[in-house]
Amino acid sequence: MATQTPNARAEARRAEKEAQRRAESKRQRLIYGGVGLVVLLIIVVVAVATVGETDDRLRLSDVAGSPQIEGDTLPPIPEGGEDPAIGMTAPVLDGADFDGNPITVGERAQVVSFVASWCPACDAELPEVVAWQEAGGPPEGVDLVLVSTNMDDSRNNWPPQEWMADAGYTGDVLVDDVNSSAFQTYGLQATPSWVVINDEGEVVFRASGMIDPAQFDQLGELAATG
Amino acid sequence: MIAVAERTFGLLALVAMGVALFTAGVLLRGRVPGWLRDDVALPLATAIAATATGGSLLLSEVAGYLPCALCWYQRIAMYPLVLVVGIAAVRGDREVWRTAVPLSVVGGAISIWHILIEQNPGWGGPCDDAAPCTILWVEEFGFLTLPTMALIAFTAIGLLTFAARTR
Repeated sequence: MATQTPNARAEARRAEKEAQRRAESKRQRLIYGGVGLVVLLIIVVVAVATVGETDDRLRLSDVAGSPQIEGDTLPPIPEGGEDPAIGMTAPVLDGADFDGNPITVGERAQVVSFVASWCPACDAELPEVVAWQEAGGPPEGVDLVLVSTNMDDSRNNWPPQEWMADAGYTGDVLVDDVNSSAFQTYGLQATPSWVVINDEGEVVFRASGMIDPAQFDQLGELAATG
Repeated sequence: MIAVAERTFGLLALVAMGVALFTAGVLLRGRVPGWLRDDVALPLATAIAATATGGSLLLSEVAGYLPCALCWYQRIAMYPLVLVVGIAAVRGDREVWRTAVPLSVVGGAISIWHILIEQNPGWGGPCDDAAPCTILWVEEFGFLTLPTMALIAFTAIGLLTFAARTR
C-alpha cells in the first residue's frame, strides 16, 4: 500500500483546493454570464416595446421636388482665391415649395441658402436666418430663398418642412430633387452654402459654411447692388 | 430594425454608464469586491468592447451611417480592445490594464472632442454630405449620441480593467 509523505499530502490538498476554486470560479462566471444574457434579453424587449412604429413616415420620394434647371453648371467653390463663378449667369431653378407653390431661383435679386435638415450647421444657423427674416430680412426687391437639398429620410430632423416650421421659418423654399441637382448645378459641396444673385441673374457671391448673422444685411445689400 | 438596434445600444450604454459609475465608486473607496475583480471585470469589459465594435459595424455596414474621421479614430482605439481584453479575460491576465487603459484614455479623449464638435456645429465647418463629424446619426434619450456611447464604453472598459489589476 502506497503511503504519501506530509509534503505530498499538502501538495494534493493544495491542488484539490485550487481545482475547487477554479470550478467555483467557472460556476460563478456561468452565473454572471447567464445574468448578463437575461439583462440583454430584457433590454432588447424594452427596445422593441419602446420604439415607435415608423412605417407611416414620409419618404424622400414623397418630399423631393423636381425643379427644372436651365443654364450652365457653376464651377466648384475654390478653397481659396477668387471664385470663378462670380459674374456668371446663375442657373435658373424653376421648382416648387413643399406645398407645390411655384418658386424660381436665379432670375432676380435673391439671397439663397442651400440647407439640409440633418446638417447640424444648418440647424444652428436656421434660427439666425429666422431672426433676420423677422427683423426685416433683405432689402426691398431682394428675396430670401432656402433650397432644401441633400435630403435624407433616414437622418434626423426629417422631414425638412417640419424642421423649418419648428424653427419658425415662413419664407420661400425651393425643394431640390432626390439627386440634389440644384445643389450640384450651383457647384456646391457642403451645407449650408450661400449664393447671392443680383437682379440681372448673375452670381455675385458664394460661400460654404455658416455665415456670421451680422453679415446677413451685407448679403442683402450685395444682391440689391451687386 | 435599425431603430430597435439604436434603442438597444442606447439602453446598453445606460447600463455601461451604471457599470462605470459603480466601478469608479469602488475604486475610489479602495474596496473592489472579489467577484468584480476576479470573475466579472475582464469578461464584462470584453463584452462592452465587443458590443461597441459590433454596434459600430452594424450601423455603418447595415444601416449605412458613414463613419467620419473622428469615428475612425475611435474605432482604431476600440476594435483592438476586443482581442486585447478578451484574451486577457481568458488567460486571467490582470495586467491588461497597462494596455487597455491607455487605449481607453486615447479613445475617450477623441470621443470628448467629437462630442464637443457635435454640440458646436460651427467648429466642424460646413456639412460635407460624405461624412460630417457634426451629424447626429443617433440620439437616444436626448443625449446618447454615438461618440457619447463610445465615451461611456471607453470609460467602463478602462475602469473595469483597472479594477481587475493585481493587488
